[in-house]
Amino acid sequence: MIYLDNAATTPLCEEAAKEQVFWACSNFYNPSATYIEAVKVSQALKEARERLKAIFGAKEGDIIFTSGATEANNLAVRGSCREGKAEYVFSSVEHASVNNLATQLINEGKEIKFVKTQKNGEIDYEDLQKQLNEKVRLVSCMFVNNVTGVINDIAKISKIVRQYAPKALFHVDGVQAFCKLPFKLSALDVDLFSISAHKFHGPKGVGALFVNNLAKLKPLVYGGGQEAGLRSGTENVAGIMAMVKAAESVDITKNYEKVLKLRNAFLKEINMEGLTIVKAENQSPYILTILCKGVNGETMVRMLENEVIVGRGSACSAKKAGNHVLEAMGYRQDLIKGAIRISFDASLSESDVLKAAKIIKQKYAELVEKLK
Amino acid sequence: MRAILLRFGELFLKGENRHLFENALLNNIRKKLSGQKFKLYRTQGRIMVSDFEDEEEVVGLLTKVFGLYSLSIAEEVDATVEKIIDYIKTIKLEKGTFKVEVNRADKRFPIKSMDFASELGGVLLDNNKNAEVDLYNPDRKIVVDIRNNGKAYVFDKTIYCQGGLPLGTSGKALLLLSGGIDSPVAGYLMAKRGLKLEALHFHSYPYTSPEAKQKVFDLAKKLSVYNDEVRVHCISFTQVQESIHQNCSPEFMITIMRRIMMRIAEKICQRESLGAIVTGESLGQVASQTMQSMTVTESVLKKIPVFRPCIGMDKEEIVSIAKNIDTFKISILPFEDCCTVFLPKNPVIKPRVAQAEAEEGKLNLEELIEGALATEEIVVIK
Repeated sequence: MIYLDNAATTPLCEEAAKEQVFWACSNFYNPSATYIEAVKVSQALKEARERLKAIFGAKEGDIIFTSGATEANNLAVRGSCREGKAEYVFSSVEHASVNNLATQLINEGKEIKFVKTQKNGEIDYEDLQKQLNEKVRLVSCMFVNNVTGVINDIAKISKIVRQYAPKALFHVDGVQAFCKLPFKLSALDVDLFSISAHKFHGPKGVGALFVNNLAKLKPLVYGGGQEAGLRSGTENVAGIMAMVKAAESVDITKNYEKVLKLRNAFLKEINMEGLTIVKAENQSPYILTILCKGVNGETMVRMLENEVIVGRGSACSAKKAGNHVLEAMGYRQDLIKGAIRISFDASLSESDVLKAAKIIKQKYAELVEKLK
Repeated sequence: MRAILLRFGELFLKGENRHLFENALLNNIRKKLSGQKFKLYRTQGRIMVSDFEDEEEVVGLLTKVFGLYSLSIAEEVDATVEKIIDYIKTIKLEKGTFKVEVNRADKRFPIKSMDFASELGGVLLDNNKNAEVDLYNPDRKIVVDIRNNGKAYVFDKTIYCQGGLPLGTSGKALLLLSGGIDSPVAGYLMAKRGLKLEALHFHSYPYTSPEAKQKVFDLAKKLSVYNDEVRVHCISFTQVQESIHQNCSPEFMITIMRRIMMRIAEKICQRESLGAIVTGESLGQVASQTMQSMTVTESVLKKIPVFRPCIGMDKEEIVSIAKNIDTFKISILPFEDCCTVFLPKNPVIKPRVAQAEAEEGKLNLEELIEGALATEEIVVIK
């Protein structure tokens, strides 16, 4: 079985698993307690923040540990909301955890604006500039699109935001970028950055929000005041420690090079009439969407599932946000219906991906034949 | 002591066979309450349940037994004037009107019904300053039922049950269960008329998802509340559909599909001794549910009838029943069923039998049906 749905989730790596067991079973103490063993745990958490910041490449700022990226995104967006006539600007192709929250904010009477997407899949930088003004309180945009793998130029966006919306906080959903693309947060000038552990071989149920200035956020839940008062509740110490360990175990640059090679080999092999590869100038090598003409993407996923596991692309459900990005890139509805998402991991070998490509072609041909 | 008084529905209409229906009903009640502590007994034309622990749970279960018309939760007291008055004194009335009604099955009771009712009314008025008597249109009617066994039953509320006929008294049938809104409703309605159901589901993996099949099991689980348990026959329809798609005119896809489904259903019915096929069709709802389509579909059946309890209902009416039996939320989950996978753009609305037969001539019907039956998997949902 070849697993090519790594953008959905990845298996826990051995280092992280060991770390998780250690902090869950041996050093299990509540970091808020005052005896020495608990203080040690608290100290370890403090160090974990610094270790994670180092991987982020962030000189300043803080880390708030959360239950995952959905919570991190909610904390970033809702935590930035204030009463009054502020405006909130979102890219139009965000993940559901941001997109549905934006819709909820509209229902609550907030002034929400969506920025257009360019044909190449990136946010429309000119339209962004037009939407910005003094009243804008937050701008939220994803780093790497979870459907197309398209990379937004975060440094460019932050420059535009700083110039045209000086009072705005800039939030980046970095779930598909962190531990995958080589970048330094200090060079990107963002205020808030969300990540999720299980996308880079960490455990599920853990994530983090990088926060440049804690004072600008409000908590979503109240309680014992953990995580600088922004996320009360006893810390998921084992999960957090495992996440940081998983992140440290990734050689980002080496993996990037390897996955780029895997992707190129796959692309060479997958070449077949009826299969359209969603390509863009700036694209993560980890994610690839294929549009299978004349078939349903969901059917393809099930045709393949005994040999190759692929994602269905968010396109199968018209209600899902991912659909818009392919539409915005100019693909026709009937093609979008046949979308499947391939996502790679550095643990794959070239022969794996070549074999997968062959199977995809073969199953596609079979399906087309049946549906003729 | 608390006791529940049960009332039958139309079993009263039955003549010589009445005891058969009554016995079936009592058995069904016992089965339904099998996880509970209770005592079920018959006393002078009434069926009572007593000695239970969880009143709410027991009442909830009883309201789902077909054949029961209504029930009342009563307090059982000794049938003496003092004891009855003592209990009446404990009743608290809200602001509003009430009436007391006394039935005296035991004529040895020393006070006449009307006189005792007015005496009890007086007791209630003394104890509830906000309440007033209204003999014609009271907010609450408190009934005192004095029986021959030395007990009196005092109750004031009637809870309506499902009505219908005891499950199984009309025989057994096969419900075509798609996963949509209508078929579970059709199943419920026929079970209510005493039919014990098994279900038949066609899936077309990989065109339909495993979730679509799970959805059907979830629906069967909801139906099992009324149907005791549901045996679900699952059949892979993939090859049949692919073969129709490859060989027949697209506009006949659905017509031929349904004719083959009916043939398979009939075979299962004969094998399992099921006496009818039940479908959720509603006249004119979609192309395959026009009068002509149903004629063509049904014409393949040789031995058994098709029951379509939703045939004269509007969608809203069906939806309202689906909500009542708690299947609606499951039915609207967005998983494709096998009917929508090869959906043609222009399905034929008024097919004729001869046309359908001509189309079927392009297929190896027997082989396809045997092939489909070979994929059968039976799951019992309780």
